[in-house]
Amino acid sequence: MTKALVINNNYEKGLIDFLKNLLENGKVKGVFSLKKINKEGDVTFSLISKPEDLDDAVPFYPIMPVNAGSLMSRFTMKQPATESIIAVLKPCEIRAFVELIKREQGSLENITILSFTCGGVYTHRMVADDLITKNLSKYWDAVKSEKILDDLRPACRSCDEFIPYNSDITVDLIGNKDIDKQLTMILNTEKGGNLVKDIKGKNVEKNLNDKKLENFKDKREKEKKKLFDEIDPKIKGLDNLIDTFGKCISCHACGRVCPICYCTVCEFESPDAEYKPSNFETELNKRGALRVPPGTIYFHLGRLDHIAISCVGCGACEDVCPVDIPLSIIFKKIGESVQKMFDYVPGKNTDEELPLSTFEKEELVEYEE
Amino acid sequence: MSQPEEKNKSTVISVKKDLNTAIIDFLKEGIDKQVFDDVIIPMRVPAKDSFAYVLVRNKSILNDGFFLPPVMPVQGGRMVSSVTRLGKKDKKTAIIMRPCETRATIELAKLGQTNLDNLILISMDCPGVMPISDFLKDTNKQLKNFEDSANNLDDKIMRPVCQICDKSSMISGDLHIGTLGAKKGSFYLISNSEKGNELIEKMGLKQNENINSWKEKVKKISEEKKKKRINKNKELKKKIGGLDNLTDAFGKCINCHNCMSVCPVCFCRLCYFESDKVKQPSDDYLSRAKSKGSIRFLPDTMLFHIGRMEHMSLSCVSCGACEDVCPVDIPIAQIFTMIADETQGLFDYVSGRSLDEPIPFVAYKEEELTDMEDSND
Amino acid sequence: MEKNKEYMPKIIAFLCNWCSYAGADLAGTSRLKYPPSILPIRVMCSSRVDPLFIIKAYLGGADGVLVAGCHPGDCHYDKGNYYTRRRFALLKKIFQDLDLEEDRLTLSWISASEGPKYAKVTTDFTEKVKKMGENSAKNKIFL
Repeated sequence: MTKALVINNNYEKGLIDFLKNLLENGKVKGVFSLKKINKEGDVTFSLISKPEDLDDAVPFYPIMPVNAGSLMSRFTMKQPATESIIAVLKPCEIRAFVELIKREQGSLENITILSFTCGGVYTHRMVADDLITKNLSKYWDAVKSEKILDDLRPACRSCDEFIPYNSDITVDLIGNKDIDKQLTMILNTEKGGNLVKDIKGKNVEKNLNDKKLENFKDKREKEKKKLFDEIDPKIKGLDNLIDTFGKCISCHACGRVCPICYCTVCEFESPDAEYKPSNFETELNKRGALRVPPGTIYFHLGRLDHIAISCVGCGACEDVCPVDIPLSIIFKKIGESVQKMFDYVPGKNTDEELPLSTFEKEELVEYEE
Repeated sequence: MSQPEEKNKSTVISVKKDLNTAIIDFLKEGIDKQVFDDVIIPMRVPAKDSFAYVLVRNKSILNDGFFLPPVMPVQGGRMVSSVTRLGKKDKKTAIIMRPCETRATIELAKLGQTNLDNLILISMDCPGVMPISDFLKDTNKQLKNFEDSANNLDDKIMRPVCQICDKSSMISGDLHIGTLGAKKGSFYLISNSEKGNELIEKMGLKQNENINSWKEKVKKISEEKKKKRINKNKELKKKIGGLDNLTDAFGKCINCHNCMSVCPVCFCRLCYFESDKVKQPSDDYLSRAKSKGSIRFLPDTMLFHIGRMEHMSLSCVSCGACEDVCPVDIPIAQIFTMIADETQGLFDYVSGRSLDEPIPFVAYKEEELTDMEDSND
Repeated sequence: MEKNKEYMPKIIAFLCNWCSYAGADLAGTSRLKYPPSILPIRVMCSSRVDPLFIIKAYLGGADGVLVAGCHPGDCHYDKGNYYTRRRFALLKKIFQDLDLEEDRLTLSWISASEGPKYAKVTTDFTEKVKKMGENSAKNKIFL
């Protein structure tokens, strides 16, 4: 059984008070959290230093403007945090951050991570249409009663990694019918325990409700199987791939928002990928005609090869795609397949090496001739 | 490229079946007569749910060409740059693109990002383009919708910046397909350059056709649109003018930089706003948060947008590609159009109008813009 | 393009300088018979082969791609081929999941003295690829 702190307050208000307390007592110097940033109520990830500014924080808001794993990487890549910071992150955002740290793109030093069992997020389309506020109570009802909503990101509907790894504190949300009155913070590490030392609340021994979460995991896995089965005919065989990616406009937004795609100049936007006049001649003589700009399928296959091993299934790619290509399910499916080859769960263990950075002397004999 | 009008030849081409077939036949004839070897024209993609530019050498593939698609998935300027940035095309190539795409191509040539040698740029009277997300809702229905709207000169379903476009028949390339004011069952082919004249001659077409009816129709439409444009710009300025309103307009921005990546004239391989210059150590971000109480993270959203305005508004062709791809529906094309009209107006410059016009950044007069200076003399 | 019995596949072969390329050389000097389908590209180590080379070759229409290196444990640069094996396996899995005719990709360990092995591997691979017919990617316009 793990130590936990139960605070008699609404889950959101309770957390905001807790975070305020941390800033006021100087236990942390900065808080990363989703926050309302203007009078229209637009929400985005923010770095908060003044306790009063936390009044506008909405730490559990069901949207993901950007996968915050890449934001934490940007914060710490030039210099690890020198002062104590706490970040409220979703499970896939933590996993993305860990995968980036393995690629030397950030550091966990001085960062405390607070996370929660995640009910998923709504799409950018719903944000653009100002539909989030209207749907909030429906969302939290679904979280409390372990239902999966239709209008969440497909990646979220099919996510079975909704329990965070590597969080110092986990807030119990999914299936917890008491969240309107009680905030339950499971203290996974000593770091987390130290932060709540002077906070008023009941100290208990408690784990997340395994049975409820197992049930919920089953539901998510069923949805995943359904979405994976639906995507199969769209991606099996070159012709079907060409059909699915026919609409692609080569904007590379998927790569840009992907937390794992961290390259400043992407390989597929570098001089390596540019066609010279002689390349066009070769292709025209071979095929008779060529879609321009060239290299659409090459980009997607190449990106799969580069990042599938670390895909955390956040769904940012599909959400930002201007032509609604079902990218997140494609990358999730291929991602899980290659991760299984190496028994690898991206972002789970901070000391597990990236599969392609290591090797066994005897392995994968079935791939040799 | 542009020359005194008197030197330009124009001709009339008859349409037997439909406009698209007539243009495809014309292009095939061009290949047969060896006026050009290759063609770049939009085509339906295999799944028939969108369109893409195709560089065609094999004449029979031209049958699938679609000269005026309802959507602009890739801005033509960006597409041409991907073909000739690293060197000119050795074979003569005819390229069919909308006027704003042709202007973007000319602008990119000035920026050293496209080699125009051996390219014959052919534009047409443009009814506008549908936002791609609208088109994808029901591709068959929307294609019909587009064709009906185009025939009735109705632009309600087009991109917001198409609805205020006064340059929808502007000729900046070599040739222009003039459908407005043309007799039924025909269209004008209007030359704007030596290359264009040469093509009309080599094709054996009757030259020096009178295009006054086209000119009049175009003038009327352009003037109406210009009035609309000025009003829209004024309205927009009221709505988003001032730092608070402007910041609110970008409240939903997720810093995906989609707008920049599809923009034809934002050609930098490594954008300043993605370079090392904007990557700060954690202490800097934290002290910024301390001084303001809190900052959105990543910060500098406004720096990106206003900075991009400063960098490229002189070259903006108001195509609206940016707004099409914004995941949170920020009216970015309308904002940039409003700014670009002002900055280009300052120098009496129109992006991509003529290859001979240098971009104002690289030219100057010894006496000008005194009203922008501090009058301390 | 018809499945022509006479069609000679085009197989891009990435051969590591120290082992496989030397092995191929040996096959040649020993006058061993192997098919003219192979287009060899010498790399210093099989781990130089960026998976993107393989993807580009496939999309460019190569009927087969062979990556050959030193036997694991014998890499001239100590561990290069271990990484090659992992990268190749990952790419092959992706091709498998996408039904992109993963049998057109093959990895083989051929040492400098294994001239006969080179001849056998290339002959067998050519046969396999011939049976699969031409790679349709070479005709696609909307790639």
